[in-house]
Amino acid sequence: MSPRHHLDQATVISFAAGALSPEMAAVAATHIEVCPLCRERLADAERIGGALLGEQQPAATDAARSAYLRGMMQELLAAEPQMQTRVLAARAEAAAKPVDPDALPRPLQPYFGASWRALRWRWMAPGVHMIRAAPRSGDTLILLKIAPGKSMPVHSHQGTELTQILQGAYDDALGHFATGDMADLDNQTEHQPVTAPGVPCVCVAALDAPLRFPGWLARKLQPLVGL
Amino acid sequence: MSSSETQARDAHYWSAQMEAVSQLRDRDCFMRIYDHFAPRVRLYLQGLGAPEAVAEELAQEALLRVWQRASLYDATRSGLSTWLFRIARNLHIDRVRREPRWVPMDDEPWEPDGDDAGEFSSAESHVAQVDLRNRIERLPAIQARLIRMSYFEAKSHQEIAEELGMPLGTVKSSLRRAFQRLQLGVRGQA
Repeated sequence: MSPRHHLDQATVISFAAGALSPEMAAVAATHIEVCPLCRERLADAERIGGALLGEQQPAATDAARSAYLRGMMQELLAAEPQMQTRVLAARAEAAAKPVDPDALPRPLQPYFGASWRALRWRWMAPGVHMIRAAPRSGDTLILLKIAPGKSMPVHSHQGTELTQILQGAYDDALGHFATGDMADLDNQTEHQPVTAPGVPCVCVAALDAPLRFPGWLARKLQPLVGL
Repeated sequence: MSSSETQARDAHYWSAQMEAVSQLRDRDCFMRIYDHFAPRVRLYLQGLGAPEAVAEELAQEALLRVWQRASLYDATRSGLSTWLFRIARNLHIDRVRREPRWVPMDDEPWEPDGDDAGEFSSAESHVAQVDLRNRIERLPAIQARLIRMSYFEAKSHQEIAEELGMPLGTVKSSLRRAFQRLQLGVRGQA
């Protein structure tokens, strides 16, 4: 089933432009892999990039240097065959590969490894487990697993948070978020997710600033969670 | 000749050159593409912050990829400049920022679609390309600025908000509006 909650179109532009942090890009790509609508929007945003690239007016460059580079390119053309057969064979092979149910979404694998079974969850609070990816840029990337039917503390954000639901579902003031859905939130949102009954809710989230929990319990939780 | 007629002729011209590279491995046609696009790719990469020598090297590599993968090019699916944009952006992420590869195989001239993407897929006609350029030229000044800061400087919403002293929400809503205006162009709708 196609997702019902999508990336903000402004986020799609940043993704296409290469303007997201690697952590945000990993979460956005995880959504795009399962969302035909956002894939189409991404293609549109890349066409805008193509048009902008094409309309640039380069200044005159060093003629000798240009001639040298041009000569290098001509030599490379003679040396480098076009890859038709090889590329097509590799692509067919990739497409034919059966989907491994234990495989993490590909954009997350550089951060969390390839296997669901091999994940080493850390207990954070009753019903809450987490894995935090090794820091890369200033942003935070976490996997969260929350037991079914659990209410999370009310919190808001200082910056941007992208959350992709990998399994299970939750409800908050913004609606019902099920597997495949994206919550693209900014600092105007205060919310209290409640996970749906049944299976645990597993999601991956990228944050560009610490979460803010207003409640007493949440203040106690915050140093533990380390967000 | 009006500027949009010139642009339409250009778009036709470049995809005809690329067809010849794709089907006949025509080196002269490829070198015409190289002469036109290599300086533009270099300029784009320098704008993103790559040092001149690195931008030069990556522009060579971007064009070489077009040559190597030319057999995958389909003019009805993707404009040449869109494909080059995607290659150049990926090279920047991989080599300059050294960040993990986020979408596999996205150097293809078009995304290898899943079974369900066909119905959404829109051909990138020459008319649509010209229309898109006209729409970019007609964007309100602030929207045009935000689009350029996103694409040519790879600035995040937060960085744009701080630099221009605008609320984050305004940056996002302006970019959304710009995208919706331009999307009408890329979809080829009125």
